[in-house]
Amino acid sequence: MSAVSAIPVAVTHKPRPRLDGEGSLQVPLDPNLKIGNAKVFAVYGKGGIGKSTTSSNLSVAFSKLGKRVLQIGCDPKHDSTFTLTKRLVPTVIDILETVDFHGEELRPEDFVYPGYNGVMCVEAGGPPAGTGCGGYVVGQTVKLLKEHHLLEDTDVVIFDVLGDVVCGGFAAPLQHADRALIVAANDFDSIFAMNRIVAAIASKSKNYNVRLGGVIANRSRETDQIDKYNQAIGLETLARFPDLDVIRRSRLKKATLFEMEPSPELEAVQNEYLRLAGNLWMGTKPQLTSPLKDRDIFELLGFE
Amino acid sequence: MQLTLWTYEGPPHVGAMRIATAMEQVHYVLHAPQGDTYADLLFTMIERRSKRPPVTYTTFQARDLGGDTATLFKTAVHEAYERFQPTAMLVGASCTAELIQDDPGGLAHALELPIPVVALELPSYQKKENWGAAETFYQLVRALAGPSAPASGSAPRERIAGTQPRCNLLGPTALGFRHRDDVQEISGLLKQMGIDINVIAPLGATPADLSRLGDADFNVVLYPEIANPAAGWLQRTFGQPSIKTVPIGIGATREFISQIAQLCGIDPAPFLANTEARSPWYSRSVDSTYLTNKRVFIFGDATHAIAAARIATEELGFSVVGLGSYSRELARELREAAKRYGVEALITDDYLEVEASVDKLQPDLVLGTQMERHIAKRLGIPCAVISAPVHVQDYPARYSPQMGFEGANVIFDTWVHPLMMGLEEHLLGMFREDFEFHPEAAASHLGQSNTAAAQRKPEALKAASVTEAAAMTDSEILVREVATTTETDAHKIADASAQSSAKASAAWAGEAEKELTKIPFFVRGKARRNTERYAREKGVTTITVEVLYDAKAHFSR
Repeated sequence: MSAVSAIPVAVTHKPRPRLDGEGSLQVPLDPNLKIGNAKVFAVYGKGGIGKSTTSSNLSVAFSKLGKRVLQIGCDPKHDSTFTLTKRLVPTVIDILETVDFHGEELRPEDFVYPGYNGVMCVEAGGPPAGTGCGGYVVGQTVKLLKEHHLLEDTDVVIFDVLGDVVCGGFAAPLQHADRALIVAANDFDSIFAMNRIVAAIASKSKNYNVRLGGVIANRSRETDQIDKYNQAIGLETLARFPDLDVIRRSRLKKATLFEMEPSPELEAVQNEYLRLAGNLWMGTKPQLTSPLKDRDIFELLGFE
Repeated sequence: MQLTLWTYEGPPHVGAMRIATAMEQVHYVLHAPQGDTYADLLFTMIERRSKRPPVTYTTFQARDLGGDTATLFKTAVHEAYERFQPTAMLVGASCTAELIQDDPGGLAHALELPIPVVALELPSYQKKENWGAAETFYQLVRALAGPSAPASGSAPRERIAGTQPRCNLLGPTALGFRHRDDVQEISGLLKQMGIDINVIAPLGATPADLSRLGDADFNVVLYPEIANPAAGWLQRTFGQPSIKTVPIGIGATREFISQIAQLCGIDPAPFLANTEARSPWYSRSVDSTYLTNKRVFIFGDATHAIAAARIATEELGFSVVGLGSYSRELARELREAAKRYGVEALITDDYLEVEASVDKLQPDLVLGTQMERHIAKRLGIPCAVISAPVHVQDYPARYSPQMGFEGANVIFDTWVHPLMMGLEEHLLGMFREDFEFHPEAAASHLGQSNTAAAQRKPEALKAASVTEAAAMTDSEILVREVATTTETDAHKIADASAQSSAKASAAWAGEAEKELTKIPFFVRGKARRNTERYAREKGVTTITVEVLYDAKAHFSR
């Protein structure tokens, strides 16, 4: 229709929200952006701890339980869904650039790739290093998924979040998630990182639905350090994955654990993933904890 | 988004209104300020519907913003339900109300009405009317047909042996470009083919009809801009395939028939040769030779623009010099089409960009929306309207579809007439100095023209031309030209009448007279006069066939 359309004064005069932080640009998320009825998990942890491996295997485990799963990689490295799709898929930001950010020109198949066992895979991608905002990228991705109705026919959404940056990009998935899961190994550095993540989730949970789900102990035969920390703040370990060579090899083979040659130890790991997925689907109780002070964590775990 | 005076599409809530208005027993409660009620007029004045759209506006005012607009909205929903007793409801916010973030969906949910209430989230500042219509239709279909969806993983339903194939017709809305007549045309075609129509939606459908969508064997997507998301969901949920060929034009209609016949296992041959289809012969007839290679510029919604490009090249022999659309959702298809015709696709919602493109290309014919009609008018180029945005003249009282064989007939007439008018103007221009056609001549069909012209004195004519010049103020140069032309004409006419009264013309030989009749009527007079003048100048007394052709050669030099 041809109509005279006036821009409401309220739009043009809407004050820009003050930018927060120093040095990094934070783009506030659209407060109306809600994910539908799917259960949403966000996986966090120190860089290199195995978040992508854990997320991908967990996605497959959910799909083995008959759930429709969407995994969203939120790392500029964009290899979160690598073992599912067997390749580096283009990121949402790459695709949006090809249409000059006119998202309405896109089709779901442009940015959603079917992976192993029907897991739908999306790589949000990231802004150029040192500039832009990861939160913007996550926000655009969720908006696009929603506009193409991909979240309405999904049971589980897993955000695999970049590990080493604590900023808007780090926080964005927390706005959408029901449970945040932390992947940690039995060493000081990853527990120290976990403590910071606990702090971030605690502060986000004041305004959003997100609650801490628990710890996934990865690459660790022993878990004494994690247990010590958990006890100190009242946190639970949801699953334990030992440091198995088959897990490392699966990554090199571009495969999830569910596609590897069967062996008893592998079967145990697969069952652990299925158990974890089952528990998460049934619903874990929210863990309301407060983080340790930096000094306290040094005292608790020593300086080794 | 940019500040503009005219847009091809309205905001997305107007799209939602098009769905609500098309349907029966649906009511739409729109959280909107007073001014937004203007949208009613689109339906009552432009489309000339006999009733107001089923929309309740909360019509909050500036002073309400200090109070409780959420309660205002809840009251409006409640009252609308009580008064109109719909069997399904839509709730949402217009562009202005979106900013006050009252969450219409949540508020309506809290009222616990005993009917399905579909909350619409239409991002007004990023999306437009067609997207809003498609999203609304999708949400309604999903909400109403969803409960009867088979469990995921179960086999798609099979047609019961011995029954006729059934389909849904998806996409026609209120305020659509010829949707009413297209539905009639395609329904008739399907009926001829022995195919039952399960549901036509949204136009004329009730919420109960939407809940039966799953009973069909397949879907016919008449308007992809509106029905694509809903058809996709029906395909995923009920396993219903979609026919996506839009039957606009002879070729596309035949393709449409063949695809349906193949899907249903019937022989398409009896339906392909349609005796009512006159456009193929008309466009091949001698009278239409002037259509060949006419340069056309096409712009509209993607579906109509792509169809128009195909008809123009394959069915009328035009050459496409420009192809574009404001439908970003189907930009990909349009780009592919543009590549086929060797032109660059113009994807824009800025009419000034379209105008610049038309101006640069200077086509012989513009096929576009009402916006392009204005552009073409400004640039003095013939134009025919092929797509929304619509105007009151796009809702003719007569039957006038775009789809099917009759649609192709309508399109032939609609596109060719502006070109014929153009031809007439061209002839008028060519003979403007001729005594029969000059501006002062009385209409020839009144039989008075010759006497009227002859009785006038040159002085009177001169005076008339001066008055005329005074009246035309917009272009000095043009005025002067007109004035001089008229002046010389006057002298010529004076000369001619003087000579004819003195009798000086050469005689025509019988065969030359006969040869003269071979010349088209509208140039015959001129040929006769020119030949006589030539004969006079050369001192020839009898005009033979040779003299006639010498004269022709002389004047064409």
